[in-house]
Amino acid sequence: MKKFRIKIVVISVILFFCVNTFGQKLKLDVREHTLDNGIKLLMLEKHDVPIVSLRIVYKVGSVNEHPGITGASHLFEHMMFKGTEIFGTKDYDSEKPLLVKEEELVSDITVEKSRGNETDNENLKRLQEELEAVWKEQKDLIVKDEMWSIYLKNGATGLNASTGNDATYYYCNLPANRLELWAFMESDRMKNLVLREFYSERDVVMEERRMRTENSPFGLLIEQLNAATFTAHPYSWPVIGWMSDIKNMKKAEVTKYFEQYYSPNNAVIVVVGDINPDEVVTLIEKYFGDIQRQPPPPEVTTVEPEQRGERRVYVEYDANPVLAIAYHKPAVGHPDQYVFDVISAILSNGRTSRLYKSLIEEKRMAVMAHAYGGPSKYADTFIFFSSPRHPHTAEEVEAAIYEELEKLKTTPVTDRELQKIKNQLEAGFIRSLESASGLASEISSYESISGWRYINTLVEKTVAVTPEDIMRVANKYFTKTNRTVAIIVNKKKGKEAAHENKGS
Amino acid sequence: MKIKEVNFSLSYVFILVLILSSFSIGQAKILFAYDEHSGQAIEPVMTAPQSEGARIVSKFEYEPIEFTPSKPERLVLDNGMVLYLLEDHELPLFKISANFRTGAVYEPEEKAGLANLVGSVMRRGGTKSRTPEQMNEELEFIAASVETGIGRESGSASLSTMKKDIDKGLEVFADVLMNPAFPEEMIRKEKDEILEGIRRENDTPRTIIFREFRKIMYKADHPYSRKTIGYKDTIENITRDDMIAFHKKYFCPNNVIMGISGDFDTQEILGKLKAVFADWKKAEINFPEVPAVEKTFKRSINYIYKDVNQASVVFGHIGIHRLNKDYFPIKIMNFILGGGSFTSRIPSKVRSDEGLAYSAYSGFHTPRDLGFFFASCQTKSESTVKAINFALDEVRKIREEYVDDDELELAKDTYINQFIFKFTSSASIVGQMVGIEYEGLPLDYLDTYVDNIKAVTKEDIARVAKEYLHPDDIKLLVIGDMEQFDKPLAEFGEVNTIELENEQE
Repeated sequence: MKKFRIKIVVISVILFFCVNTFGQKLKLDVREHTLDNGIKLLMLEKHDVPIVSLRIVYKVGSVNEHPGITGASHLFEHMMFKGTEIFGTKDYDSEKPLLVKEEELVSDITVEKSRGNETDNENLKRLQEELEAVWKEQKDLIVKDEMWSIYLKNGATGLNASTGNDATYYYCNLPANRLELWAFMESDRMKNLVLREFYSERDVVMEERRMRTENSPFGLLIEQLNAATFTAHPYSWPVIGWMSDIKNMKKAEVTKYFEQYYSPNNAVIVVVGDINPDEVVTLIEKYFGDIQRQPPPPEVTTVEPEQRGERRVYVEYDANPVLAIAYHKPAVGHPDQYVFDVISAILSNGRTSRLYKSLIEEKRMAVMAHAYGGPSKYADTFIFFSSPRHPHTAEEVEAAIYEELEKLKTTPVTDRELQKIKNQLEAGFIRSLESASGLASEISSYESISGWRYINTLVEKTVAVTPEDIMRVANKYFTKTNRTVAIIVNKKKGKEAAHENKGS
Repeated sequence: MKIKEVNFSLSYVFILVLILSSFSIGQAKILFAYDEHSGQAIEPVMTAPQSEGARIVSKFEYEPIEFTPSKPERLVLDNGMVLYLLEDHELPLFKISANFRTGAVYEPEEKAGLANLVGSVMRRGGTKSRTPEQMNEELEFIAASVETGIGRESGSASLSTMKKDIDKGLEVFADVLMNPAFPEEMIRKEKDEILEGIRRENDTPRTIIFREFRKIMYKADHPYSRKTIGYKDTIENITRDDMIAFHKKYFCPNNVIMGISGDFDTQEILGKLKAVFADWKKAEINFPEVPAVEKTFKRSINYIYKDVNQASVVFGHIGIHRLNKDYFPIKIMNFILGGGSFTSRIPSKVRSDEGLAYSAYSGFHTPRDLGFFFASCQTKSESTVKAINFALDEVRKIREEYVDDDELELAKDTYINQFIFKFTSSASIVGQMVGIEYEGLPLDYLDTYVDNIKAVTKEDIARVAKEYLHPDDIKLLVIGDMEQFDKPLAEFGEVNTIELENEQE
């Protein structure tokens, strides 16, 4: 076992950045190393505190799913915490036949249930009892959430994982001397994952969906907005998946998913903190180097066809109105993305932003108004969200947003507005250097959609955006034909119907 | 949701979108996450590994980390301001975070919402010499921010600027603290937005549950039972004069603790602070008496109908205040019971074993007077009573049996090894000291923290579990559609049904 030499550095950030107005050039000096099996390793030294922020990213997300298995990427992310052949189990050899038996019984139960009126209830009951018995036996062999416990015991913070449209992220910050522990456990998860407790975890995800989407007006609105905005492209379904897909998710599907996408050639490792990059390379080679490269995962080839007219969706729910508007825009890599970044800042960043000043301070018709238009791997949308202030309606707010968009189309933004955004962008970059964890997340996010180097040209390219660019882009994309509007409409049901509109 | 973020960063926008569209493994700890004191990365203890993997990693050897976190300097100025200063010259940044002794607990019941309104409008409304528009423009053009706010038991103010703009930043910061204008027009705007927020409270169980739980937990005449943002009629009772008086009373130099960090020279910054705050005069403050929380335990079962397919559950009872002598054993006990993420007993049972919830956890809310212990989960309507019983059984069990050695070790090692993360930035170092002094904790709190964690034994845990957990005297609140529940809540006792309408219009 190789020991790690951790040097004592008394609060001094030796960040390898270079220099500009603030005495700092707005670039990250990330060191890159690619293993023979395709794993890309990205390292950034930051020696002020002896900690290390670690990310492992698999370039798979809901965009790689298809109808029938929506939510598979996210459910799989949950399964990554259930252990491997050597973690989470007292004896995998004894557990293995139980896992086989579990699958047989689940399959038999599905077949029996699918017979409809012909279902033999006696047999169904017997099969279900047998399955319960298998689970009971397996439970004695399981060491609950062991990988999670080991990380915590070793001081991990920010321990989590998340699934998005384009990628799945696993987060961990550790004291810097625990890097080897991380490499050992993560490489084992990549090699020897076991899908134990699959069916109870599927239930957990269904609860997650109820909590975040079905009983949240905002969650429902976003889901319905995307479903209407995209007719062909997989950004149309929710990351968490449709309920019926989660409910019917098969272990075999998820296993297939793992084999296709959780391969070394589809993974990125990001290490930021008090590290010696040469030692990190040796360590990562040692634990991840022997994992076999897999065939490259299938490309997403579906392209959303051009929208041929405005789409409007009304979501009826027992809640006050919320408005969302989406305009199609291109993928990362398109030069217009930088213009969208500037537009979203002009419209929605801070108390001097146009939406805040107009909708909240002047017209006083909304209590919240945001515009988002960050980059995605594939063509996505520039989105507006707003909560009207009673008695103002979503439609009034919608008209006020269009008014702001018209201004963008016809009147050049002022030099001062652009200078302000430049100042904020540069300051934001410098502030981002304070946090190892923030840097690790940023590097991994950009790497998964485009490449980490995107960060190093971001400020420069954004600052180069001109007032004419903004007018051109606004005219090109913010058109009625290109938009989808979704609105929560207050529809009280059942017992509460009697109180509808009371007092307003 | 108002736009409070000022630093424009593309990655910030990007991450926000990611949050909107992504789903994570971690449970959402809403409202009252147990406070996040953590613990010195030294020796990992790994007893009795149960798996082959654990046996392998238990043999890993780690070089010890030698790390001496910087200590901020504490100074008290002639006008009474308490300062914590920490120079950090690595990045050209400057930050102040300040705590004022004030809060909604000091406002009269008929003017509930006053403190919150003062906290918002003192920044939003500009100052006597700066209109809101001027101030916003001045700050945002240099990517700086000044923010203020008042919560239930404290007020806060912050400044963030680049080094080159320290003078401008301090000037605006001091102006906001000393000379807010409180214009009528802005008071009206803020009130109207709060009223809209109140209208929307019943839209999701998340915004109903702790509002109603407080009303059940505390007597109606205690400020802990109230909402800090106020109520429709109390908000209308608040006048501009009330706000000016409230501000004048609490925003004085002898009532603040400031944490100052970043790229500055201490002597120089002291001179600048004295200059900008030269007109800020010491004043005697008569803090209104806050009635003591009554420590009584009485079971009650409460139900709110909402047309949703998942029940939101919380149960608990009166707990402890922040300075309780048993704080550390209680912290460890709660980690084992339900505060330590997946590995704790309540989430392990309700979430992991049974698949009944995504979010299931317990916590001790620890304000100045007695807070409350609570356990909470969200589960599909059809498993409501089952999930409550599982969680309740865990509360009973931890009172009756010693916790396992490995559970205790996991909890202690986690806090001890996470300790280093308390020092990841100079701003967080001074911020912690401000918090420690504000809470009335000993100023060597961080120096003794690890020893305090180490000292906890399983006997301590058994003792505090018996003393501070009362599973038979819980107050239960469930929001959902009882017709869909597996069993009626009458299972737990006589059900008190709460109507929601009152709040909304």
